[in-house]
Amino acid sequence: MNWSLNKSQRDGLIGSAVLSLIILALVGAYYIWGESYQARILYATFVNLLVVVGLQVFMGNANITSFSHSAFMGIAAYVAAICVTPAAMKAISLPLAPWGLNAFELSPIVSALLALGITGVLGLLTGLFIARLTGVGVTIVSIAILVIVHSIFLHRTDIFKGNQAFFGIPKIFDLPHITILVIVAIFVARLFRESALGVQLRACADDEVGARAMGVNVYRIRLIAWVVGTLFFATAGIAYAFFLGTISARPFYFNFVFLTVAMLILGGLRSVTGAVFGTLLITIGLEIVRWLETGPTLLSIKLPQMLGLSGLLLGVVIVAVMAFLPNGIMGNSEIEEVLKRKT
Amino acid sequence: MDYVIQQVLNALSFGAEYALIALGLAIVFSIMGLVNFAHGEVIAFGGYSMIIVATLLTANPWVLMIGVLAFCVLASVVLERVAFRTVRRADLTTGLLTAFGVSIVLQNLFLLLGSPRPMAATQFIFLDQTLTLGNIRVSSLQIYETGATIIAIGLLMLFLRKTTLGVAMRAAALDFEMVRLCGIRANRVIAGAFAISGLLAGLACIFIMARRGSVAPHMGFDPVLTAFVACVIGGFGSLPGAVLGGFLLGITEVAVLVLLPQSYGGMAQAAVFTLVALILIWRPDGILSPALDKGDKI
Amino acid sequence: MLQIESLKVFHGPIEAVHGIDINVPEGKCVTLLGTNGAGKTSTLSSITGTARATGTIRLDGEDISRLSIEERCKLGIALSPEGRRIFANLTVYDNLIMGGATRRDKKQLTADIAAWFVQFPVLGERSSQRAGTLSGGEQQMLAIARALVSNPRILLLDEPSLGLAPQITAKIFEIIRDLKTLGMTILLVEQNASAAIEVSDYVYVLNTGTISSHGDASKFGDGTKLVDELTGVHR
Repeated sequence: MNWSLNKSQRDGLIGSAVLSLIILALVGAYYIWGESYQARILYATFVNLLVVVGLQVFMGNANITSFSHSAFMGIAAYVAAICVTPAAMKAISLPLAPWGLNAFELSPIVSALLALGITGVLGLLTGLFIARLTGVGVTIVSIAILVIVHSIFLHRTDIFKGNQAFFGIPKIFDLPHITILVIVAIFVARLFRESALGVQLRACADDEVGARAMGVNVYRIRLIAWVVGTLFFATAGIAYAFFLGTISARPFYFNFVFLTVAMLILGGLRSVTGAVFGTLLITIGLEIVRWLETGPTLLSIKLPQMLGLSGLLLGVVIVAVMAFLPNGIMGNSEIEEVLKRKT
Repeated sequence: MDYVIQQVLNALSFGAEYALIALGLAIVFSIMGLVNFAHGEVIAFGGYSMIIVATLLTANPWVLMIGVLAFCVLASVVLERVAFRTVRRADLTTGLLTAFGVSIVLQNLFLLLGSPRPMAATQFIFLDQTLTLGNIRVSSLQIYETGATIIAIGLLMLFLRKTTLGVAMRAAALDFEMVRLCGIRANRVIAGAFAISGLLAGLACIFIMARRGSVAPHMGFDPVLTAFVACVIGGFGSLPGAVLGGFLLGITEVAVLVLLPQSYGGMAQAAVFTLVALILIWRPDGILSPALDKGDKI
Repeated sequence: MLQIESLKVFHGPIEAVHGIDINVPEGKCVTLLGTNGAGKTSTLSSITGTARATGTIRLDGEDISRLSIEERCKLGIALSPEGRRIFANLTVYDNLIMGGATRRDKKQLTADIAAWFVQFPVLGERSSQRAGTLSGGEQQMLAIARALVSNPRILLLDEPSLGLAPQITAKIFEIIRDLKTLGMTILLVEQNASAAIEVSDYVYVLNTGTISSHGDASKFGDGTKLVDELTGVHR
């Protein structure tokens, strides 16, 4: 195998490095000026970032909308949580669990690998079908996956606790861990985009018939991208469970799907830079709106409590981006291209 | 025997509700290629309009029904004008995401201006009574629902076959530009499609409200998700397909509830969606649509 | 009746027609000849309003180049498009109803449709059949009839002989000749040079977006010389 990089791949490394610096700057700013409650916000942002960058891998390169990512994230989160939680704790939180699920415990690393493995296998199995479909067919089947997985979470309360919290997960990750994960994810996603596979996948997105005529195996590369994306979601799910200590089925459904999809399309789904910027922008916007939602006192005027404002904003962002900025902020360009153009 | 008839009626009335909503989705999709997920919020808006009319004007259920229909038509047409006109020529995914966006906006507006909790609106509950026919006891609402759906489908068919606008709508499903070249205004055709879609949503709203007796911000989302599935099964954009898909889903859902043990009740939705995934993998364009070759110049 | 001045037509960023002038007098049949990609269909699209264009397009002296597709149709521009584009899912009758959709006099419309069914008996026989089941030639007749039921002031015919057998082509040109005797103003786009020249009064030859020659139809003889010129054949 030839490991030397071509020009766009070298550019990819530069771009990823620039994005990583932005991430590090954010973390640094938190350690210098931040207050402790902001660690949680930053952590959540980075979990979202993992998901959105993972979305970019399949959705962005193949230009096919898929909605199943929070299902895969949920599966990984639950597998990791069930494996890593001490047996004594599970005796309380999952007293009715079948198959001895509440009678064992594994180390964090084994738990995480198991979660990645199981999610990856599920990704492969679903991918075998997904990769055969095109366009809106993928979207529909991905919605089906989301609904089916969610129904199972809700139905098997003995394993997943449904909408109640599954608690007692030890806190294993903290900000440094996820920072590293995010940076690795950015590099992987970017290098995937610039790899032969990524280029072929983007070619299919532009002209499937043309790409096939050039000998591109559309089915194979879609499958690979789908599974790679799934692993990103799994990582995000594990990071989520390893930090929060409790999980429930509710976050792994449509609301989270829309949140992350909005982040991706705002930034521009065709570039990794777009995925990163979209995530950061929407997170900042939502934090401001969430603060407004609680009814704060602004300039000595007590604002009323306005539940639903953050959701409203999210919807407006989606509609506005689709209407006025269909290619997102970044369009097809990555950060190093923008920087070069400026200088 | 009693049990069988009840379950058949159950399947029919579920199917009728899905078919009504699915038709509303399909008529818009067939003309402008938009999967209108905000359709559910039009239904929810119909529910809220009941509260508005009942407080401001009168609680007479018949007036309220007309109100619900009118408000749903209005909401649907306004949505097209405000949100969907800009993405009229965009691809499917853009339209789908826009519709989801609109749906989120509306849900949160209901939350913001109404209440996050369900609000009571019980004026239509009287439709739901237990009838005793001989020694069989059935719900009157289910009979009304099935009957009204069949009548609505019949009227819609008449409209699409006998009026110029109806014929234009069918023609637009095939070649919108050619319809414009015949001098029929695009806005009129699309507004017509949204108005019909709204009317169907209003009808569905009346029956949903008769069953629930309350209105909540998210109440439209699940029915539309299921109706969307019905459209997919039948073949998206095909009106007969939407009806077929709706009734098929109703039957499947009841069958799952009847055949699976009680404790699996929550899995009905999962079963339905598994069915959809399988059908799509078998026939990516749905049951009632002809296979299309990729690379065809259309 | 139809005057086009310095017309440029664009497909996205590409300029397909580079500033042409065309004049179609009332009651005459004018033909646009040219090979594939010469810009014939683009020119027609700019007249109907489906393509982006600059320049002026006048119908009876009134500039219509800013009007929408639908408004132009209402002013009396009817198109029988390339590839026929009949509504395959509708019946033959409903296709004609679509053609006459702009007309207010619905009773007269029904009578006109009946009259066209006499003119085109094949269509009359198949009036309640789905249009997609018609043969190519029948579909072309339907496309022409659909354009005519709107009672247009000018009829635009885009390659009516495309993909048809010689006998059917002859029949289509017979129809065009009949229309001309009825006094219809026609702008015909064709690749079949000899047949087109025969039915028309005036000919414009379009070559990669510009008019390379024009003149009375008699000037072009039977068109063989022109075809050789356009296709680069030297005999």
